[in-house]
Amino acid sequence: MKAGIIAKPIAAVILAAALIALVLLALGASPFGVMGALWQGAFGTWLAFTETLVKAMPLVFCGLAVAIAFQGALWNIGADGQLIAGATLAGALGPALTHWPHLLAIPAMLAAGVAGGATWGGVAGWLRARRDVNEIISTIMLNFVAAQILSAAVHGPLMEPSRAYPKSAPIAPGAELHLYFAPSRLNLAMALAVALAAGCYLFLFRTRAGFELRALGRNRRASAFFGIPIARLTTRTLALSGALAGLGGAVQVSAITHRLYETLSPGWGYEAIAVALVARLNPLAIVATAIFFGALDNGAQAMQRAEGVSPVLVQVIQGMVIMILLAFDTSAWSGMRTVFAGAPTVPAANTPAAASDA
Amino acid sequence: MLAAKAISKRFGRNLALDGVDFCARPGEIHALVGENGAGKSTLINIFAGRLRPDDGHATLDGAALRAGSPHAALRAGIAAVYQSPMLFERMTWEENLALGGFLGEADQLHLDEVAARARALAAELSFDLPPPGTRVEDCSVTERVRLEIIRALSFDPRVLILDEPTGVLAPGELAAFLELLRRLRADGRIVVIVTHKLAEALAVADRITVLRHGRRVAERPAAETGEAELAQMMIGELAPAPPRPLYFRHTNEPVLMVEHLTAVRDGRRVLDDVSLTLGAGDIAGIVGVDGNGQTELVEVMAGVRAPIAGRTRLADRGDNGPDAQMAIVPQNRDLDGLILEMTLWENLMLAPALRRRFSRSGGWLARARAVEFCAQTLSRFRIDAAGPFAPAGALSGGNRQRLAVARALATAPKVLIAHDICRGLDLRATSEVHRMLREYAAAGGAVLLISGDLDELLILCAQLWVISRGRLTEVPPENRNAARLGLLMSGAVR
Repeated sequence: MKAGIIAKPIAAVILAAALIALVLLALGASPFGVMGALWQGAFGTWLAFTETLVKAMPLVFCGLAVAIAFQGALWNIGADGQLIAGATLAGALGPALTHWPHLLAIPAMLAAGVAGGATWGGVAGWLRARRDVNEIISTIMLNFVAAQILSAAVHGPLMEPSRAYPKSAPIAPGAELHLYFAPSRLNLAMALAVALAAGCYLFLFRTRAGFELRALGRNRRASAFFGIPIARLTTRTLALSGALAGLGGAVQVSAITHRLYETLSPGWGYEAIAVALVARLNPLAIVATAIFFGALDNGAQAMQRAEGVSPVLVQVIQGMVIMILLAFDTSAWSGMRTVFAGAPTVPAANTPAAASDA
Repeated sequence: MLAAKAISKRFGRNLALDGVDFCARPGEIHALVGENGAGKSTLINIFAGRLRPDDGHATLDGAALRAGSPHAALRAGIAAVYQSPMLFERMTWEENLALGGFLGEADQLHLDEVAARARALAAELSFDLPPPGTRVEDCSVTERVRLEIIRALSFDPRVLILDEPTGVLAPGELAAFLELLRRLRADGRIVVIVTHKLAEALAVADRITVLRHGRRVAERPAAETGEAELAQMMIGELAPAPPRPLYFRHTNEPVLMVEHLTAVRDGRRVLDDVSLTLGAGDIAGIVGVDGNGQTELVEVMAGVRAPIAGRTRLADRGDNGPDAQMAIVPQNRDLDGLILEMTLWENLMLAPALRRRFSRSGGWLARARAVEFCAQTLSRFRIDAAGPFAPAGALSGGNRQRLAVARALATAPKVLIAHDICRGLDLRATSEVHRMLREYAAAGGAVLLISGDLDELLILCAQLWVISRGRLTEVPPENRNAARLGLLMSGAVR
């Protein structure tokens, strides 16, 4: 059982690689050349490796956001909107922090990100808790709202002073997160992401609220019977989930982009759903899966330069890896199934899987 | 002929079936009896194609059944009714039955036709069906079992397998249901009935197979055996003597007062001015046909459902809040009582009082202490489990129920409210649970049992009420005869 947790994903990756090789052969490319370029681009040099971490960073924040919510069977599809909400608030605040010392400006940026994301997630949570609005729908809709607000902001009130491009004014130097080992873009937010992963793990598995959240996610009826405060937990969890994603947005602005762009997020919030599911909603595993997905993103560009293969192929690779991983372990989907089918009614004791876990 | 040859099935370290032979002949009602965990459910799951045996094979009329294929079993004419109904919670009962055999191979979905045929069959069985368009999640346990039985019969099966179907049927329904089984037998079909109730097995079955610890210990014609012999073969030792009835009422101060509770569900008055008082040391019972307000009464007392009038009052709210003073064992342990995917210690932590006891400041769980407490609880209540980290779903039904009762009693509450606490439990597990309840009451606890099992309540309860259409009628000891209680339960008299 324990060995399977490690061995299965590796087997899945190897199988995926074999299938990708077939696709590449069909396209007339050299599988080893392409795969080599992908590896080189992702891990081949010190700089490539640090860029992989840069790509992985927002996926860790969003992956944690998704995992926390999914553990409670709260299907937050809105990490992208929450990240954008956090980034927008931080990006709007950043230019105004000109005379702030670094030690105050950075926490202010992060707080803005938390506030923006928590608001975005909290609204969906409140709607679910008090008005019984399906959070899948509300979070997806709020994604559009956040994206359009960002777009309107960088075309309007937050547009840079020269008004030449749809981007905001740069944030104050004091609000920029220091980058180490130039030209790498390593920064302390990466350590923050790892610390948050540990924090989320402790929250889920060592605190009372985390326990109640997991109980809620596995049996809503029993949770109601045993006095778990479902409404409060729903609102707070989605606010917390949004705060994690929003923090990721603020960090992105503070460390990497230093200003707002219309296309700030390439869809991290959606990719994070895959990151979280492949990690089986385990916060610690999310760090690893995020780096894996970040490596694919990063390696894709090198692959295109070296072998002339479209980076779109990386999305094909990602899709196949996820499907094969899930095929290797159906339990990742058992949570999702409850959304569509209600509480499971199959007596688990009669199934061989449940009995062999004993 | 439905036969099993040397079937073995292993779940992890647990050998559920160990080379079992089984044979049920056409035109026969065959009872399969055994304690919880004897392997009865595993065997019928193999016949129904839900499980694949590790060894051995099953045949019907000489043809081998494809192992592990429910579809093949159904095509061969084997239909099963399970102990935990397998219905689609979020669909209406008509839609659920449409997945049965009423429509044959037709491509079009005629729900009206399904409903009409179901009604005809239900009338034959004297079953009440839920109102049209009711979703299964709003149906009571009894209604679900009735739906399952109708769905199984809709396939016009050659073999009908029934896993503990009679536990939740009302006396009137039971007679019609047993009559139907006899008709199926007269048609030359095979009926296999799994049950703990030896009297019932003896009354309805032609032959009886006894399983113990995954082995077949005997097969007997029903006419040539008796309850004592069966019980002894099942348990492997002398059966516990049935306890003496106790019409003994402690005259202590009241601890729980339910005052004029009235509740409405879907525009229907499901609780109608319900009042009762429970004293320390009392074991009181509410008996009734399922669906007369029992579930709603428990939900209101648990605080899950809001009444439109009345209240539940505890004499002493204690220092730890009302939920530490009143513990509840819900009716449907797998849906409401336990979280099967979570570990045993986590399931214990569901009880609000235990969650509080094992929380530290800052919201941290005192995990090590909680696990230790779970280990103690497992041994104190003799729950057969691999340990605190086993998932609740790995326990047998009897051990799951014991866990639910242990959790309720572990907080030393003043009041215990238990709904169908012994449903699906065998003789030994039932007497074990009854012993736990008596000990608890003897130590000054107050117990309110809500049950459809009149025999159980007559043995245990000093005070007894009948619930019918949401109203309570108290039955004093001198009026407790079967005829009177039957009339009260059916709602014919008040």
